[in-house]
Amino acid sequence: MQKIPLMCATSGMKLARDVFRNDSPVGMPVCGKDTVLTDSLLARLDHLEVKSIYVEGHPLWSEGEKTLDEILCDLDLRFEKVRNDPLTSKLHSIYTAFLKNSMGDSSGRQTL
Amino acid sequence: MDDKRSELKKIIMDIRTLPTLPGVINKLNTLSENAKASVQEMARLVSSDQVLSARILRLANSPSYGFYRVSTISNAIILLGVNVVKSLAISSSIFEIMERSSVGLWEHSLGAGVAANLIARKLALPECEEIATAALLHDIGKVIISLKCTESEQHIKKMIHEKQLYMREAEREVLDTDHAEVGAWLSKSWFLPDKLSEPIAFHHDVQLSQNHRIKTAVVHLADVLIKASGFGESGDRYVPQIQKIAWDVLKLNDEILTELVEELEDKLVEARNFSLEMQA
Repeated sequence: MQKIPLMCATSGMKLARDVFRNDSPVGMPVCGKDTVLTDSLLARLDHLEVKSIYVEGHPLWSEGEKTLDEILCDLDLRFEKVRNDPLTSKLHSIYTAFLKNSMGDSSGRQTL
Repeated sequence: MDDKRSELKKIIMDIRTLPTLPGVINKLNTLSENAKASVQEMARLVSSDQVLSARILRLANSPSYGFYRVSTISNAIILLGVNVVKSLAISSSIFEIMERSSVGLWEHSLGAGVAANLIARKLALPECEEIATAALLHDIGKVIISLKCTESEQHIKKMIHEKQLYMREAEREVLDTDHAEVGAWLSKSWFLPDKLSEPIAFHHDVQLSQNHRIKTAVVHLADVLIKASGFGESGDRYVPQIQKIAWDVLKLNDEILTELVEELEDKLVEARNFSLEMQA
């Protein structure tokens, strides 16, 4: 999941969270989680002055942002003292799977 | 007792050497002991100190509690409870120092609060707000060490880097005590309730917790999860071992742990934004 400015959103991206007016976490959502964005929907959100949205995956990369491989390498370093502990190594496996799943393949990435 | 350890304990137990506490807190302590005192009376007392009220409301609106729209002290007392508001009031000066001098540690504490709240709610534990507060405060000992032992702090940092130690191992080697014990002294000196002081004292050694082992286990696991996520900086980069006693007492399994990681990462997006707003 990634929070991106509305102006960087494109049709085909999927909402990871409900969208509220003015980033307010309360009140009625103006668009529901799991909705796939379309050009007309983006125009409507813009009209409602929504500034940012949460989308599935990690579609936009800013300059200097770490790749999935670098993030996994950092994860290994953080776990280096506990890799042989059965309970903590479970957590390492869960985190590795989570990061691979949520960040996906970072090749051919689009820069913000 | 080692010289440095006893000297440090003396400094901490002498309240005059600590960041000053507003006079309002003593009055609040007295008022909260009176069974007839109403929420409105307590709220009026705290609200009379505007700086303190602003500090409390800022913490009460942090993602550690997940309420976001706590706009008055009386709301804070109703939603979080007198104990939590009192503890936030007492510790707010330490958080001010943390925000100014160690943003990484502030983020680590905030993240631990978020994680502890999440774990407590997932496991349907009572007193979620108290547990989140204990997690928010679990590393206050580090701020005191940094404030009172500047030279030793440099030595500790060097040892962590050179010998690849956990921070508490380096603290033990240099000071013959660690941030958990220092935090315990501090919570005693502040008269924090056991349900907050035990998790602070034993978050690295859950089995030593006698009266609030479940709360201590939650804070321990929250610390592990937040270090695994890489959110904030707690002084060393190493994830601590999940203690078997914590796993057992919380009746964890792979499925719960997987759900916790997914939900925590979701919440940390908010915590990151909150932290950026605080720094802006």
